[in-house]
Amino acid sequence: METQTRITPEEAQQALDLVAETTRQMRRALAHGGMPYFLLIWGFVWLLGFGSSHFFGAGSSTAGLIWAVLDVGGAVASFAVGAHLGKKIRSPQGRRIGLYWLALLFYGALLIYFAHPQTSNQGALLISLLAMMGYVTSGLLYDSRFLTGLGLAVTALILVGYLAVPAVFNLWMALWGGGSLIAAGVYILRKWR
Amino acid sequence: MGAFNELIHQPVRLQIMAALNALGAEEQVDFKTLRETLGVTDGNLATHLRKLEEAGYITVHKTFVGRRPRTYVAITPAGRLAFADHLQALRAILDAG
Repeated sequence: METQTRITPEEAQQALDLVAETTRQMRRALAHGGMPYFLLIWGFVWLLGFGSSHFFGAGSSTAGLIWAVLDVGGAVASFAVGAHLGKKIRSPQGRRIGLYWLALLFYGALLIYFAHPQTSNQGALLISLLAMMGYVTSGLLYDSRFLTGLGLAVTALILVGYLAVPAVFNLWMALWGGGSLIAAGVYILRKWR
Repeated sequence: MGAFNELIHQPVRLQIMAALNALGAEEQVDFKTLRETLGVTDGNLATHLRKLEEAGYITVHKTFVGRRPRTYVAITPAGRLAFADHLQALRAILDAG
């Protein structure tokens, strides 16, 4: 299909601009597998959940109820986002990522049930580290440096909070853990605008 | 220097190739999403998709989701290569100008 067609530099620039704009539109339409929406959903779950653990007490029934509602809400919202995007785009990766997170959830529940964390901070640490392991490994598996980098950065924040400020670890997790996920989601949405 | 590709350079086809090139490996986008993203009509999109499919740059799969028919479109490895070559040719024209 190679031809001798010549176009002016201005026409070449217009074509490249059209390509860049269309690429942006497509990325926005597909939201790259829903990543920013999942980050926002679980960022708010962490912000409100860990916030309730801090203000109502980690072992309180109020905090437990809030966590249960947030977890179910987060799972339903994630499923809805995944199902909506699944109609727009068919990808073997999408199904594999969903199954991967289900497997991680299953083994996380087993670990917590049998390992019996001694303190609420240990329980929060275990759950949040498992979630970040999911971010880092799925980022490595699907070649997303952003997701891997985000997972490593939040892991570092989790460890700093657990070791340096154990008395306000839940508040730390709400602000730095949940806040980081929300900020990452907002950053991606703004970048692709 | 990449090869200038007249088939791809047509504006709607250039947009189609750019949109499909933004997909990950093995990903397919449905016809309706592609049409809405590009802001073209059904007939216009179908015409240009056929030309790109004949050139081996894209694949078109018709299937059913539940009872509803759906058409999914994907770029082929040859299509990615031709598109990359075309972009390289455009940049070379810019550099030469």
